[in-house]
Amino acid sequence: MEQRETFWRIVLLAPALLVFGVFVVWPLLDSFRYSFTDWNGFDPNYNLVGLDNFARIFRDPEFRNAILNTAIWIVAALLLPVLAGLGLALLLNTGVRGSRVFKSIFYLPICLAAVIVGQIWIWIYQPDWGLLNTAIEAVTGVRRFNFAWLAEPSSALGAVIVAWAWQQTGLAMVIFLAGLTAIPSDLLEAAAIDGVPRWRQTLHIVLPMLRPATVVVVALSVINALKGFDILYIMTGGGPFHSSNTLAFFMYEESFKKYRMGYGSAISVVLFLIALSIIVIYFRQLRKLGEIYD
Amino acid sequence: MKPWHLMKATLGATALVAPLMLGSASAEDAVSVSHYFTGELGQKGITEIFTEFTDKTGIAVADSPIGHEDFKTGILVRAAGNSLPDVFSYWAGARTQFVVDAGNIMDIGDMWSADKLDDVVAKSVADGATLYNGKRYLVPFGYHYAGMFYNPKVMTDAGITTMPKTWDDLLAACKTLKDKGIDPIALGSKNRWPAQFWFDYLLLRTAGPDYRAKLMSGAASYTDAEVKKAMGLWKDLVDAGCFAANSNANDWTDASDQVARGDAAMTLMGTWITGYWNGQGLQPGTDYDFFEFPMVAEGVPNAVVGPVDGWLIAANAKNAEGAKKLVAWLASDPAVQAKWAQIQGALSANVKVDASTYTPVMRRALKTVADADAFAFNYDLATPPPVAEVGLNMFAEFMNDSSNIDALMDKTQAAAADAFKQ
Repeated sequence: MEQRETFWRIVLLAPALLVFGVFVVWPLLDSFRYSFTDWNGFDPNYNLVGLDNFARIFRDPEFRNAILNTAIWIVAALLLPVLAGLGLALLLNTGVRGSRVFKSIFYLPICLAAVIVGQIWIWIYQPDWGLLNTAIEAVTGVRRFNFAWLAEPSSALGAVIVAWAWQQTGLAMVIFLAGLTAIPSDLLEAAAIDGVPRWRQTLHIVLPMLRPATVVVVALSVINALKGFDILYIMTGGGPFHSSNTLAFFMYEESFKKYRMGYGSAISVVLFLIALSIIVIYFRQLRKLGEIYD
Repeated sequence: MKPWHLMKATLGATALVAPLMLGSASAEDAVSVSHYFTGELGQKGITEIFTEFTDKTGIAVADSPIGHEDFKTGILVRAAGNSLPDVFSYWAGARTQFVVDAGNIMDIGDMWSADKLDDVVAKSVADGATLYNGKRYLVPFGYHYAGMFYNPKVMTDAGITTMPKTWDDLLAACKTLKDKGIDPIALGSKNRWPAQFWFDYLLLRTAGPDYRAKLMSGAASYTDAEVKKAMGLWKDLVDAGCFAANSNANDWTDASDQVARGDAAMTLMGTWITGYWNGQGLQPGTDYDFFEFPMVAEGVPNAVVGPVDGWLIAANAKNAEGAKKLVAWLASDPAVQAKWAQIQGALSANVKVDASTYTPVMRRALKTVADADAFAFNYDLATPPPVAEVGLNMFAEFMNDSSNIDALMDKTQAAAADAFKQ
């Protein structure tokens, strides 16, 4: 009986494992292998170069630029969607009129493809007739304000991050809202009877009890930030001249535009290690939470 | 059956069936073709051309078009997987050199002489675009010429009746237009490559084609006085306010629209702009026209810049005979060539195409190329792709801030030297 069950487990898992193995594990291991070569991506002949690619990474100013931008993006991911999502969730949870409609509206962007979000924001940032510059003209009275948000190295990355955060906020909000419904209402009622003001209830009861939701939101946000590629590709293409490059984009450029597949693989290994350490921290936190709430 | 045996049988069956499911179902004798002519008109035109070929020869064509930018990566991935289509479109120059060097492409010297392609392909194009490492690989399909396309009404209204012939003329025209409140030059360098023509022409007009060839192959340096001189002239133009604002925020079509609307007077672009404008109902000669990039220094050969689109045959083509027939026919049939040139706003590489099939503007472009001393590929086709990445970024950076050419050239040379080492 036992044996039979094990057998069926293996059989039923096999298709998923096969697909996962062929499309995730194998390429992953392959990119580890290529990171030690000078392969250009299509020539059948290539050489082993040992740790050269990794040594090069740490000399490459473009890598420093990409890792700095990735760090900026991660910090922004920790702040923007998390705080905005939390704020919206707390606000909508008070039972404002029409809160259901607002919930749907705020959630809507997450249903859009990143490419569409990128295109909408390209129009918002358009220098001559975009919504943002037109609004700035209207508010400040400046005539012909035509700052090119996506074409200036000083603002390109920030502009993309804002667009990305706009999309992510809805997801954070929904997770926080789910977390809020899990907070027993008698706790808040008891506090209210004791005359605890609303803001102290939020600070001392609601926020601590939202910890599980926060862990999920933060982890998703950071992982999504590391994956942030499509919206960048559409909005700036990593430009102007690398100024908005992230690690993921830098890897793509080196591999597919400059045909340095070996070097690109080395960058992807570094990116993988960063993502792995974040995921490990995430699972540890989840386990701790599990211990607390079990 | 024991469970373990059942599992083995299941896995075994899966292993047998999987390749069948993944394998393509194309007919055995079809010539597989991939190309980047995916614009509405281009795709329709090429489908008609392939159908005509099948009707004539009975050889089927399995067509798989891929968008321009994706094609650049996609075709190399297919080369890496040893699964190139029998025939694919490609840009002559450094990109073709790249795949030829990797051993992926078929030498078509025998076909070239058997089909007498020397008699139909313009010699300047044949010499520059089809030979690699001394052997014949590419068959040209069409080519383009980059010139200064302008809005005649805007120029006339500003009082400019003779188009600039020298650098000083251009600076003067720029001032006249600015005084009238018109942006003299539109440039859409968001995707970087449209800026390259400025570098190409300025370098060719000052240092000449031989020096430029050296720079493109890595034998000269971006820190040379020749390069700095060209960049300095470009900077003069930027400093004089000749370029419309925010070029890095615009695409080439945005720049074309600025000229078509009359917000800007001219743009340096390839002849495909005529296809774009014709599609919008603009009349060649009245709504738009072009002049040659002005002469800058005396005694420098007159070079023209542009890309050549061609066809390559994979070294391991499954239907090599069919592939050769198709490619030879695409280049040598004057009706096909005339039709294609018209659709793409391109110039035919076939000398037998009747000049009357062109618009007046394209006829002049054809004559300009014929009268030139040399035909040079534009930057991103003249230098190896990894180096082109470096240069294209430099052009965009320059358009953003042109204040320190020396530092920019030092940085570019360091990155270019590194890219050449590959």
